[in-house]
Amino acid sequence: MRLLLPAALVLLVLAVPVSSPAQRAQTEITAGITSTAYLKTDVLVRPSDVLSGGQTAAGAADVIDRVLANDLVFSGLCRVGDGIMPAPAGQDSFRFDWTIEGTVEGPLRDAAQTGEEVPLTVDFNLLTYPGRQLVMNKRYRPHADQYRTTAHHFANEVLAMITGEPGICLTRIVFSRGTGDRRDLYVVDYDGEGLLRVTANRTLNLCPDWSPDNTQIAFTSYRGGQQGLFSLDTASGQVRQIIAQEGLNLGADWRPDGKELLISLSRSGNPEIYRIDPVGNIIKRLTVSSAIEISPNWAPGGRELVFTSDRTGTPQLYIVDDSGVGGRRLTFEGQYNDSAVWSPNGDRIAYATREHDVTGIVLVKPTGEDRRVITGDHWRNCEDPSWAPDGRHLVFASDRTGVFKLYVYDVVDESFRQLTFGDDPDITPAWSH
Amino acid sequence: MFAGAKKKSMFLTLALVLGIVLIAFTGCSKKPAAETEPVMPEVTQPSETIPRPVEPEPVDPNANAIDYPGLDPSEYGVRDVFFAFDEYDLDDKALAVLSENARVLKEANVLVLISGHCDERGTVEYNLALGEKRAKAVRDHLVNLGVPSGKLLVTSYGENKPFVQGHSESAWAQNRRAHFERP
Repeated sequence: MRLLLPAALVLLVLAVPVSSPAQRAQTEITAGITSTAYLKTDVLVRPSDVLSGGQTAAGAADVIDRVLANDLVFSGLCRVGDGIMPAPAGQDSFRFDWTIEGTVEGPLRDAAQTGEEVPLTVDFNLLTYPGRQLVMNKRYRPHADQYRTTAHHFANEVLAMITGEPGICLTRIVFSRGTGDRRDLYVVDYDGEGLLRVTANRTLNLCPDWSPDNTQIAFTSYRGGQQGLFSLDTASGQVRQIIAQEGLNLGADWRPDGKELLISLSRSGNPEIYRIDPVGNIIKRLTVSSAIEISPNWAPGGRELVFTSDRTGTPQLYIVDDSGVGGRRLTFEGQYNDSAVWSPNGDRIAYATREHDVTGIVLVKPTGEDRRVITGDHWRNCEDPSWAPDGRHLVFASDRTGVFKLYVYDVVDESFRQLTFGDDPDITPAWSH
Repeated sequence: MFAGAKKKSMFLTLALVLGIVLIAFTGCSKKPAAETEPVMPEVTQPSETIPRPVEPEPVDPNANAIDYPGLDPSEYGVRDVFFAFDEYDLDDKALAVLSENARVLKEANVLVLISGHCDERGTVEYNLALGEKRAKAVRDHLVNLGVPSGKLLVTSYGENKPFVQGHSESAWAQNRRAHFERP
């Protein structure tokens, strides 16, 4: 098979920082909408051929095939079939446009004899279907802890080939897990795998936000005794203090260029929105009122921001420019609106609203038009939405099962997927870039 | 001839310099009596105006002040105050409790932390802000009643440290409070 490939073999050696032993979390599709199936690309993914390497290679092939298929489905852009099972009941039958064929080879030297761990060789071909014209070939040399990452890499390549947009298969979500006055930050892969705890300081750690290059996570913590804003270096795990003024140091949001953050500080007596630089110097105060001003979030261009103010007596959303002027009120429905986040392409704002004593997630255009609640009453309380970089998915926390867990929503399919499991509450998620 | 003139002029210059130095010396030794006093303060003053680090206002070691070593405020009669949903105004009941708290705190030689709390409803960030508003409303009222502000610290835990678990109004009402604790 490989002899037929063009000379332009792409060799990709993985050098991706890998999380500690992956903690398995099941993922499930909690709802599926079939009406948009015709918009999706059908991909035939046959099980990879194991050319050599015995059980190790066979196990790797299983993991890689499963993760790859999940990635294509989770993207919302594809339906995946194996050529044997029919399309799910109620859906149109498969009309494949593409097929993916993979091979997995064991190491040339026997790892058991040499005592060293040698990478496998994984080849993927993306072909047209049924014409079998080669569109793309990638080769990877993953070590044992890189099988899932390998599949994510190739899935991203396939999605970029199909849509022209980069996939989100290597993104992660940081969130706060715990109860009472002990909540720690955890990071989980976008597909719910690879859970990793990243703080352990026996205090509250809340409201994280990734820097645009994903090298830092800013978060609010009481690790200094009082509340402060800190930054976690995602490569080294080192934590540094950004700012710790008297009172609140809350809800930081990185500007898309990474040079500034928005934050709510109550140093003047009550919470106001400020622009600060990444080492904590205050650049500009944007609000002046005796009300609560919190939850600032940049528009994609970094020229405008949306935030929450209760200056009218109830928390509502407002939009101002980056010097704090030109304010306009975004929300007039609902007695309680907070946690606004601007979608990466700028066409929507997601936020949390309280109606009938339940908090739900709302999507609205920045003009205030096309408001719709995406979580019904059976979802109970849903809070803290955060957008994926594809602008199609968002993650939020819901206590629909009695305890707050994270869920991913597909804006196009209007489908939900539970992301985190377990008994401890998970709150304030933030999707990486 | 030129050399002789040069020597002569050198001698003259030397004498002149010596003379100037001599005058300067004697002039200096004579002047202090008249001019030292205005100069001295300028030297000493700067060291007195070096800004001292700002520290928390110390609690007055009042002779009558009562010590409560190791006790929680609730153990010497300081009680928590409660709020309505999404409110940080002090109602009549809260004002009555704070009057009594103020009396105790004025007589006590203590430092207390007022922490603001909210019920589980609403968002994490807004509740942290609301909790701080509650704690500060209580602090400001106590200061108005004469409690030294240096005795009072303020923080907010929002909805993160509920006193009562549960999803009923009775649980929520218990959790919407300003709590007095040892810092």
